[in-house]
Amino acid sequence: MIELPVLDDSPDSADHPRTRFWRSMSQLEGNREFKEMNAGEFLPGASNGPASEGGSGATRRQFIQLMGASMAMAGLTACRKPVETIVPYVRQPEDFVEGVPVRYATSMPFRGVLHPILVESFDGRPTKVEGNAEHPDSHGATHLFEQASILALYDPDRLGTVRNGDTVSDWTTFRSTVSGLPTSSRLVVIAEPTSSMTMAVVRRQLEQRFDSVRWIDYHGAVGNNAAQGIQAAYGRSARVQHDLSKARVILSLDADLFGSTGADPVGAAAGFATGRDPDAIEGMSRLYVVESGYSITGGMADNRLRMKSSEIASFAAALGAELGTWSGDAGVHASHEWVSAVADDLRSAGGNALVVAGAQQPAGVHALVAAINDRLGAVGTTVTYLDSDVPAGDSQAELEAAVADMAAGNVDIVLTLGTNPAYNHPAFADAYANVEHRIHLGAYLDETATKASWVVPQTHYLEAWGDGTSRSGVPGVIQPLIAPLYEDARSDIEVVGLFATGTEMPGYEMVRATWRTQFSGSFENAWRKVVHDGFAAGDGFSAARLSLSAAGVQSAMEGVSLSASSDVEVVVMADSKVFDGRFANNAWLQELPDPTTKVVWDNVACMNPATAEKLGVSATLNAGKYYADIVSLDVGGNAVELPVWIQPGVADDSVHVTLGYGRDMVSERERRSTNFFDLDDYTDVYGKGAISTGVGANVAPLTLGGHIAAVSVSKAGEGYMVASTQDHGAIDAPHVGEEVKSRGLFRMATVEEYRADPEFVRGGDPKPLKEDWDEYPTLWEDNHPKVSEEIMSSNYHENQWGMVIDLNTCTGCNACVVACQAENNIQVVGKEEVSRGREMHWLRLDRYFVSGDGASYDDPQMVIQPLPCQHCENAPCEQVCPVAATVHSPDGTNQMIYNRCIGTRYCANNCPYKVRRFNFYNWTKTLPDTLHMASNPNVTVRSRGVMEKCSFCIQRIRSANKVANVENRSIEDGEVVTACQQVCPSHAITFGDLSNPDSAVSRLRESDRRYELLAELNVKPRVSYLGRVSNPNPNLA
Amino acid sequence: MADFHDEAPLITGGLNFHDITEIVSSHTEKKTPLAWYGAFSLALAGLMLLVGMIAYLFWNGTGVWGLNNPVGWGYAIVNFVFWVGIGHAGTLISAILFLFRQQWRTAINRSAEAMTIFAVICALVFPTIHVGRVWAIYWTLPLPNQMEMWPQFKSPLLWDVFAVSTYFTVSLVFWYIGLVPDLATMRDRAKGKLRRLVLGVASMGWTGANRHWRNYEKAYLLLAALATPLVLSVHSVVSFDFAVSIIPGWHTTIFPPYFVAGAIFSGFAMVVTLLIIARKIYSLENIITVDHLEKMNIIILLTGTMVGFAYITEFFIAWYSGVQYEQYAFVNRMFGPYAWAYWTMMSCNLFFPQFFWSKKLRRNITFMFIISIFVNIGMWFERFVITVTSLHRDYLPSSWDYYTPTMVDVLTFVGTFGLFFTLFLLFLRFMPMVAIAEVKGVMPEADPHFYDHEGDGHHAEHAVEPSTQQ
Repeated sequence: MIELPVLDDSPDSADHPRTRFWRSMSQLEGNREFKEMNAGEFLPGASNGPASEGGSGATRRQFIQLMGASMAMAGLTACRKPVETIVPYVRQPEDFVEGVPVRYATSMPFRGVLHPILVESFDGRPTKVEGNAEHPDSHGATHLFEQASILALYDPDRLGTVRNGDTVSDWTTFRSTVSGLPTSSRLVVIAEPTSSMTMAVVRRQLEQRFDSVRWIDYHGAVGNNAAQGIQAAYGRSARVQHDLSKARVILSLDADLFGSTGADPVGAAAGFATGRDPDAIEGMSRLYVVESGYSITGGMADNRLRMKSSEIASFAAALGAELGTWSGDAGVHASHEWVSAVADDLRSAGGNALVVAGAQQPAGVHALVAAINDRLGAVGTTVTYLDSDVPAGDSQAELEAAVADMAAGNVDIVLTLGTNPAYNHPAFADAYANVEHRIHLGAYLDETATKASWVVPQTHYLEAWGDGTSRSGVPGVIQPLIAPLYEDARSDIEVVGLFATGTEMPGYEMVRATWRTQFSGSFENAWRKVVHDGFAAGDGFSAARLSLSAAGVQSAMEGVSLSASSDVEVVVMADSKVFDGRFANNAWLQELPDPTTKVVWDNVACMNPATAEKLGVSATLNAGKYYADIVSLDVGGNAVELPVWIQPGVADDSVHVTLGYGRDMVSERERRSTNFFDLDDYTDVYGKGAISTGVGANVAPLTLGGHIAAVSVSKAGEGYMVASTQDHGAIDAPHVGEEVKSRGLFRMATVEEYRADPEFVRGGDPKPLKEDWDEYPTLWEDNHPKVSEEIMSSNYHENQWGMVIDLNTCTGCNACVVACQAENNIQVVGKEEVSRGREMHWLRLDRYFVSGDGASYDDPQMVIQPLPCQHCENAPCEQVCPVAATVHSPDGTNQMIYNRCIGTRYCANNCPYKVRRFNFYNWTKTLPDTLHMASNPNVTVRSRGVMEKCSFCIQRIRSANKVANVENRSIEDGEVVTACQQVCPSHAITFGDLSNPDSAVSRLRESDRRYELLAELNVKPRVSYLGRVSNPNPNLA
Repeated sequence: MADFHDEAPLITGGLNFHDITEIVSSHTEKKTPLAWYGAFSLALAGLMLLVGMIAYLFWNGTGVWGLNNPVGWGYAIVNFVFWVGIGHAGTLISAILFLFRQQWRTAINRSAEAMTIFAVICALVFPTIHVGRVWAIYWTLPLPNQMEMWPQFKSPLLWDVFAVSTYFTVSLVFWYIGLVPDLATMRDRAKGKLRRLVLGVASMGWTGANRHWRNYEKAYLLLAALATPLVLSVHSVVSFDFAVSIIPGWHTTIFPPYFVAGAIFSGFAMVVTLLIIARKIYSLENIITVDHLEKMNIIILLTGTMVGFAYITEFFIAWYSGVQYEQYAFVNRMFGPYAWAYWTMMSCNLFFPQFFWSKKLRRNITFMFIISIFVNIGMWFERFVITVTSLHRDYLPSSWDYYTPTMVDVLTFVGTFGLFFTLFLLFLRFMPMVAIAEVKGVMPEADPHFYDHEGDGHHAEHAVEPSTQQ
């Protein structure tokens, strides 16, 4: 909202230097005496009562004012509400309609690149992120971090003020302190990797101003192995781009391509999906995954091999030897049966082959993989190297060198820009204390901030201007959507700018100044177009011409062990939800079930049943909750204690842990404590301080010697409760797998089977006993909503909404779950409540393990099935509600009428899909104010005691209805996009009008692979699934 | 010997009409015994517990219970069905046995009816408080409103509202009509002015005139006829809550008769439990005789076996139907995580009552007391098994979970016993706990031909004599 200045009837003359007439010098100068004289009807003192001279103070006017006011108030009693005046715009801004959201193009900086997005803004309040479909790197989709970043903007634990040590200070004081720093200071900057051009400019200025500047692009504990590997293989740094759409054979060596921690998960999933059409003439692509943990990429694999991460180097070497890029001994897996089979397949795919190594693999393996891709001829088709001009340093080593200098007293200023080295490196804190000026820019009062001498609150990317380049190098602008929620907050370029120049410059001017050099011609026009589009089209990085250095590969592999080890290994990876901890205070992400383990609000030590048995640890299921033993993982003296999670499919002797937990953030909010009879303190997720504090354990110290390390594991405790959204009693029971299979929930076939029987999904249908089940009359057939006059005559009746979910391309990446949460104001309930089975997600991803058919219980296949409300035409929930709170809409959706619901929960009981979610408590009662701002105003915030569930994003349907109605036309196919559909990187979800035979969803429903879940109940779900078709190598049974 | 008069007399101890009046009404007239106060305080504490738990629930929300996503109904619905079931015996005894001319019912019907009403009150607590937004519970009633919004008549929960409230109303009226002659008797004996006034109003001017008796008998008969289908309907409708749904383990056509049998089973067990205590404390052994208890035990044996038969039939049907969901649901009951509840139910309901085949055991007061307690436990578990085990694992294994009640769940249930016993103790204290008039009506003296032979009552004494052995 633009605040108009209040019209002042006596404008301060000094501010208005215009021609005017004046009575005296004192009036002209506007001095105080004259104003006083002029303000009253009479001269000062003339109308005062006698007492005022003595000092009681009440004038005649004041007396009458008071009397008048008290008379008026006496008559008003307590019925008066505060007056709020709603003032319309005097001049309505162009294209702005109150209540109608506007979308702005901007970008989210993450891991050194910009992620192009569109942000929905309601009256100046950003609420939802979507992919910027016009951007070449976006695919119109996002991953889950972009979705969840909205919540980070409104995080109640964001730091609001500049702090000097333990005291609250302000920006002005900080500014003068910085201006006064001598330029002879020795400065260390530990910054997030950034692609910002403006940052590059101010960095150069900084390096000029200070005598000694050491700038570290700090990757944190996640590391930067892939870039280092490429640098080793080619002798220079380059950014690698994988194009899975061109790949016919893909080999992942421990790489989670589709998970949120992947280098380009959106692009990978989108590309992969295009190659997985089982009806395509050229056939389906094939995905091999060799991994130690169980990633969703492993779940998508046509052939998956469990192998310790520490032995994958040997597998890569053997493959290199087979393909002629590795001359040395390949070590333990030199003659693995997979090697020749995979090598043959890769070789026959030639340029359409692709090998990818995981981020946790050492640089040597990445170099070797680069060599293999090079040899296969993949460079130029599936692999592209871009001239990103970003050096691929080992930031952990750089940090360690700086820490040594700090400890030796050779550093005067440490500037940490959004980074958190104190959390990532155990040796940092002591050395840090040795530095005089410890200046931290960060959003939270976190591990580094509490040790800093100055802390400046960092703006969220939606609050400040910035710029940078996307993955493929397309430059873009970060456009803020809202003024900083906290006045003191500054962006990284502003703070570095202050250091570099000693004076303050607004980020907007800095960014514009940088971009001014970019354009020829009219800057303003070009700038406006860039801000509008979010990026400058056609300016990506050029492909680098690189020549492979075999010696470089050889030397990079030198430190990498190729032998087998009987030790238990620990593999440390970025977390799929909180990444390296930067998203740890995001409640949506904390409560997001891990795609594989379904664990929330914890990090766990994943191991397979055999390893757990060997180590003598277990996680036991008791009354629906998991109580896990705690293990101590000791890597070279750094020990971390974590609860055990038993995960079938993990390699033997491999323990998997994720970064980002065990945070220690200070919250400035008061802890909530309530009376004994009041559970607000229990139900308030935010009431116990910063939500990330005390969740899980920090495993960053384990990464000091690499992400894969031999570990000594010992049992350190037991009975730790781990909350999981699934598996409340399923993982331990092999018979569950039988049930999943015989119930035909997830139907799949190999491509050969599919060719032989295109209608293989029908094989999953239960056999009809006598008649076909769909010939049975339904219970209330004569009274069915679809035959009622009210429904038939409604305008909405024209569209009949339905959804098709393609299990062949859904990777289970979780982006849709967060998108749904953001769109539909879904509340977070906390670990304890999740463990009691009360999570609120409207869309869940059902994960099943499939054993049998060759796969054993130790080595099962994992499949994931998204499950929104099925919007049954014969909805069982509707028939049992005593108050008609859940009813059918004329356009065929099953709707919840929240304000009619009395909460009998009968509908949830009778839902065969169990998609309904009940508000057991009032989750919004205690929500901090800022978080209310994250709500979508078009979706009701549900109160305690009502049922809720997926609505097919009815608010989006109704918005489209309105527009179509005004324009007097029908809704077009693709006009209504659900939140889950919009975010899906692999476009696995299709939504549309079933009554339009040409709509995408109608066409997909013609597919042979289509089936409905529990169709034999004759509830007629509006959601269909397309069965999965896999393409395993027949030589690797 | 198959003579009509040789049937065992219903009243023992050679009591005459006056003795009956004296025995029954003296308890309401004498000074309140200290033990009553003790028991009443205990019950009242339970009631306070219930009130406290409900207040806690209303303040915080349904989350204080152990419910979760697949298991949307837990203790509340289990307790509701349990208490409604208990509430079956009273009306069955007073209405159906009345229509079948089972005269032994007279000794127990008053207290059984009282138990019915109090049990239904306890039952009604639960559907009321179990909803998420209790302040809107009245939306389940078809009240005219400006939105012209009616309840959803297809919902079995709504049928419940009508069935249980009708049952409660009819039971209450029936009970009160039966009370009128006895209240008049007490009025006639009343000493204090207030007591006379209250009882005078309550007995509605009963004088014992022939016309009063005629109207009374007619009304009683009509109400009995009205109540009889209700006995069968109310639990049938309660069973529809489950049977009409599509959840395996609930979706079963056998439920209505099975629930009715179970309700009678549990109701009789509760009557036995209560009356064994009451007859001992209030020295009613001659009015509520072992013969009466034995008859109830036979009904327990019969209905328990019927219920057991229903359990087995469900398994047969699950197998015979070929529906794998149903098959899994029942296998899961027997061997799944709630197997302990299933086997508790099985042993309490099917196995233990089989001891009543032995005449010696079913006439043993201690033994039948123990069995009646087991049956009460077993029937509670039956409802637990039906409600919870069906829900906790239904169609999609991804949603399977486990239900654990919280302390609030348990204490609320305990609290309803407080409510029940508060009401029952008040009843024992202030109301004639045996239907005086009706008992007199089944005594030999009431036979119009009783005095035909001797005309002085000697024959009557003779007739009573052989059965004084107890």
